[in-house]
Amino acid sequence: MISQFFVLSQRGDNIVFRDYRGEVQKGSAEIFFRKVKFWKEDGQEEAPPVFNVDGVNYFHVKVVGLLFVATTRVNVSPSLVLELLQRIAHVIKDYLGILNEDSLRKNFVLVYELLDEVIDFGYVQITSTEMLKSYVFNEPIVIDAARLQSLGPASIFMQGGKRMPGTAVTKSVVATEPGGRMREEIFVDIIEKISITFSSSGYILTSEIDGTIQMKSYLSGNPEIRVALNDDLGIGKDGRPTYDYRSSSGSGAVILDDCNFHESVRLDSFDSEKTLSLVPPDGEFTVMNYRMTQEFKPPFRINTLIEEAGALKAEVIIKVRAEFSSSITANTIMVLMPLPKYTSRASFELEPGAVGQTMDFKEANKRLEWGLKKIVGGSEHTLRAKLTFSQESHGNITKESGPVSMTFTIPMYNASRLQVKYLQIAKKSGTYNPYRWVRYVTQANSYVARI
Amino acid sequence: MSGHDSKYFSTTKKGEIPELKEELNSQYKDKRKDAVKKVIAAMTVGKDVSSLFTDVVNCMQTENLELKKLVYLYLINYAKSQPDLAILAVNTFVKDSQDPNPLIRALAVRTMGCIRVDKITEYLCDPLQRCLKDDDPYVRKTAAICVAKLYDINAELVEDRGFLESLKDLISDNNPMVVANAVAALAEIQENSNSPVFEITSHTLSKLLTALNECTEWGQVFILDALSRYKAADARDAENIVERVTPRLQHANCAVVLSAVKMILQQMELITSTDVVRNLCKKMAPPLVTLLSAEPEIQYVALRNINLIVQRRPTILAHEIKVFFCKYNDPIYVKMEKLEIMIKLASDRNIDQVLLEFKEYATEVDVDFVRKAVRAIGRCAIKLERAAERCISVLLELIKIKVNYVVQEAIIVIKDIFRRYPNTYESIIATLCESLDTLDEPEAKASMIWIIGEYAERIDNADELLESFLESFPEEPAQVQLQLLTATVKLFLKKPTEGPQQMIQVVLNNATVETDNPDLRDRAYIYWRLLSTDPEAAKDVVLAEKPVISDDSNQLDSTLLDELLANIATLSSVYHKPPETFVTRVKATAQRTEDDDYPEGSETGYSESSSHAADGVASPPTSSSGVPYSGARQPAPAPPAPAPPAPVPDLLGDLIGLDNNAIVPIDQPVAPSGPPLPVLLPASSGQGLQICAQLTRQDGQIFYSLLFENGSQIPLDGFMIQFNKNTFGLAAAGPLQVPPLQPGASARALLPMVMFQNMSQGPPSSLLQVAVKNNQQPVSYFNDKIPFQAFFTEDGRMERGSFLETWRSLPDSNEISKDFPDIVVNSMEATLDRLAASNIFFIAKRKHANQDVFYFSAKIPRGVPFLIELTTVIGTPGVKCAIKTPGPEMAPLFFEAIETLIKG
Repeated sequence: MISQFFVLSQRGDNIVFRDYRGEVQKGSAEIFFRKVKFWKEDGQEEAPPVFNVDGVNYFHVKVVGLLFVATTRVNVSPSLVLELLQRIAHVIKDYLGILNEDSLRKNFVLVYELLDEVIDFGYVQITSTEMLKSYVFNEPIVIDAARLQSLGPASIFMQGGKRMPGTAVTKSVVATEPGGRMREEIFVDIIEKISITFSSSGYILTSEIDGTIQMKSYLSGNPEIRVALNDDLGIGKDGRPTYDYRSSSGSGAVILDDCNFHESVRLDSFDSEKTLSLVPPDGEFTVMNYRMTQEFKPPFRINTLIEEAGALKAEVIIKVRAEFSSSITANTIMVLMPLPKYTSRASFELEPGAVGQTMDFKEANKRLEWGLKKIVGGSEHTLRAKLTFSQESHGNITKESGPVSMTFTIPMYNASRLQVKYLQIAKKSGTYNPYRWVRYVTQANSYVARI
Repeated sequence: MSGHDSKYFSTTKKGEIPELKEELNSQYKDKRKDAVKKVIAAMTVGKDVSSLFTDVVNCMQTENLELKKLVYLYLINYAKSQPDLAILAVNTFVKDSQDPNPLIRALAVRTMGCIRVDKITEYLCDPLQRCLKDDDPYVRKTAAICVAKLYDINAELVEDRGFLESLKDLISDNNPMVVANAVAALAEIQENSNSPVFEITSHTLSKLLTALNECTEWGQVFILDALSRYKAADARDAENIVERVTPRLQHANCAVVLSAVKMILQQMELITSTDVVRNLCKKMAPPLVTLLSAEPEIQYVALRNINLIVQRRPTILAHEIKVFFCKYNDPIYVKMEKLEIMIKLASDRNIDQVLLEFKEYATEVDVDFVRKAVRAIGRCAIKLERAAERCISVLLELIKIKVNYVVQEAIIVIKDIFRRYPNTYESIIATLCESLDTLDEPEAKASMIWIIGEYAERIDNADELLESFLESFPEEPAQVQLQLLTATVKLFLKKPTEGPQQMIQVVLNNATVETDNPDLRDRAYIYWRLLSTDPEAAKDVVLAEKPVISDDSNQLDSTLLDELLANIATLSSVYHKPPETFVTRVKATAQRTEDDDYPEGSETGYSESSSHAADGVASPPTSSSGVPYSGARQPAPAPPAPAPPAPVPDLLGDLIGLDNNAIVPIDQPVAPSGPPLPVLLPASSGQGLQICAQLTRQDGQIFYSLLFENGSQIPLDGFMIQFNKNTFGLAAAGPLQVPPLQPGASARALLPMVMFQNMSQGPPSSLLQVAVKNNQQPVSYFNDKIPFQAFFTEDGRMERGSFLETWRSLPDSNEISKDFPDIVVNSMEATLDRLAASNIFFIAKRKHANQDVFYFSAKIPRGVPFLIELTTVIGTPGVKCAIKTPGPEMAPLFFEAIETLIKG
């Protein structure tokens, strides 16, 4: 069980502080903050999420720039505490619509009321927004959403994708809409994070997709929902059919390595029909997590060429090719490449007619940064950079630069080809037809090309 | 509700408290609710609103749950400081516990359990008894936890009133949340009791396994963790349990997955069928890997656990090494753990892949990570004989890039590789020697020197290479000096020519006459004697064949591993330390700070300690109950007022040669906190016990602040301390508190001191000799330096007039001055603040030519004043300090103090 729970701002200010057992001394928040801030003298190394100072164990997670912290003196399950901290952040976000210092301070009475139901004497009680509604009576004061960043992977729907309603992100699940009745709607987001490592010859060394199906329901009366996935979905490496090279790109079964489900999900017809049924609780929650290492077509290919041009000069050419359909556009792309430490200058040259691109050589960490607003499927972009060195490179340029890494977001695209075939909502009446939003998005997790 | 809660934080011009009081007594419900919110707001920002206690409690009788909760929140916070008034609330509590609304019943019991006031606890029993049998599950689950609360306040009461039996009945409750809380409460009570409270029989086991399927995710963790104490009768029993637990591996909550893994691993020890075991291993792999897709914080916990699991059962993840490859955006703490597991899973089959990764990591930017990657390559070379050559060629490639820290790290591991495969890879020595002059880290230097000495006969210019190091011998760190000594002896024995002979003389001279390091000196004398008496014997000793090493770094010994595996999914598995080395909640060290629910509460040290003291009186220790540690449940008393030490038996006196001195039993706990203290007794001279200490002044009193760290292998207790006679007659004044120290544990203590007890004669000295002993170790002595500034009293401020008068009244012979040519005062303001903080008070300032002259006053006990004149030019080195005092003999000490203070 935990002793204390607190939330600190980036500056170390106490925003919320609740002591459940009174066995950890005053000032623990300060001790914690000092320790985290000065973990290593050079400030290079991040403090691990769990550590012990003078017999007190501190756990922390970072959520939207805030530190959610718990302390204890006993040998608890650390994953329980860390999960709990994430979950508390989620519940508060569900209630307040937006999670930040301002909203926490404005709603402190509600937050303390929540904390009293979530934890009793250090033991976790209820973390489901749905259940908490029966025991929590304060109403949230929703703060102005327009200028604020939000929490969670769904926030990516805020940027770029105009097709998608972004309201789900900043809407409290308990507050009533100012305009009267709440809109009947449900959001299902399939969010995939890709990790790939390409070898210097462009061959894929490792690849993995971490996917999650998130749901946020604003349906009244909590009707039952059925979510149907690909018919040919398979689970476990053993379920993989005999190795068929064609299956790796294009058609073929989707084979997940492993997956897990929210406790409200019933799996009666999962094996036979690949269908999940559930009564969605209020609030945002993860229906399913999955992991896939089956080969898939990477959305981008990266090609890097380094040519020495004399002892103190070299040219770097980076090519990025989008290997997805031209009806899809990736946005907020960033390509990073560490350069040798003795690089003193870099000048850039783009392809003719390039728009919406930024190039920079970061002197401090000797890094090339190439930003592209968007990339349309099927297109290719090139950057040439002329480097000047302050000392001779001894032919080690390739070893001392790279790897090239990339971050991006591709809305309405998913690499695993896992699909929600249909979303069925148990009907209350003939006219009942709530809005259903099924959205896909793919992001880079660790997208790296070695050189 | 309208508007923002933050409006409650705004203050009004009229007195806040009277206004709140008025609003709290308003006839309108809404106004009262708003007022309570304002009170709570004030409380959270640390204002003292305890004077409104009665008014707030009057709002308690309401049907409005929102308001009731606020009042309860207030009560929990202030009941401790107003125990008499808190009684006013009892009636409402008892009434609420019988309210028709189950939420109010539960709220009443939950809140009463949080108020640690004895009079309220007495009234808690009856409502609790009722609530444990309530019809509503929400009330029962709240009551279950409340039993644990009550046990923490008064264990006897719980046993006497039969609450344990009621709790056990709840294990069979039809509501899974009630079951989960009952299990959690029983587990906690068991932890703190030494009689069997909660034994898991096969009957409870099956009941709990059934409840497992219905529970919330958190309840599943409580139950799984409680069940992990169950010892299965035989293999079949174990298999049955595993079968029931395995579906938990599919849970989205990582805590459930890890607790299930723990349970399965434990039962696997009993399962004999290799098929079943293999099958289980196969089932556990995917969920374990999936943990690495969670947030980085969870990944870290998972990796620390996986590290242990693969040491016992490497097959589980043998084919999954790729998932441990580092992602470029992993936090450093995740990367480090992944590297460790990659080394553990590296095999002849995957080593090429692994080496490719390591090589890549070794060119990244993060220095610590790069070093660890280089070391990892070396460790793989040592672990996998067939891959050693490939590993070494990767190391050589890295050395050629000539990144300084990579080269140094590579040399360190190559030394180990030579130890593992003697006479195999010495051909690379030439390449290593090229990097000789770039080495600047002691460990790398020492390793290179070892290599040169060990292979002196194969390195043509070994003598030149070593000679280049010899010039700087006196400045080198001990580690390098020792290696230089040994390497030179080896060189001499292998090539007894003129050059080495001269070198050996230089080294032996340096290492005997010129050094203060006893290790170095001893080793040098041994070599010297060996060489001078029997060079052949010297050869046998120094050039003897060395045992081959293996890669055992970061490999835990099997008993520790067993213990840690039994603690999978607990903190122990993250720290890789047994629980008893870091769990300090052995009640003895837990200091209750009840009033601490809100940040920066208004209760400062004083009011808090007085409430503790009151509480200590109110709740006599239940030492007769036979519950261990019950005596220590008393809150720590407030530091007592300075008083002459009581006469106590003289245990250490004759050892340091002094008489009648205070010996203070150190048995009371204190909460660890405070700034770092200088190490006075290093662990090496204290048989593992390290003591840091410093004399400090706090709130007008002198304390000796100590930090004990037990680095020995045994628990230490019964600490005693004594001070030798000293100039100021400092001696311990009262009880100092150090709990029994487990190995690896540490504790702080604040010992109040008195002066003028055992004054030594002779010229004033800042020397303070201290002796400390405990029941396990003999007396340790150490010296401390008394900071003179600790004596400056709070009443040292003088009026300008009396300053002048005193100055004139003292003879000129009492004026002493000293120059500090190196000190620069950059900001007078900061300096004044610093001096004032040490009770040196600013009086006046004047300009003299281009210099600023400042006047200060200070006083030490027995009213001895110090009149101080500081002359300096701001921003330029050089400060002159002149003092006039009736006690000029203290001047040297004073100057030391003022120098420290001005320097900051």
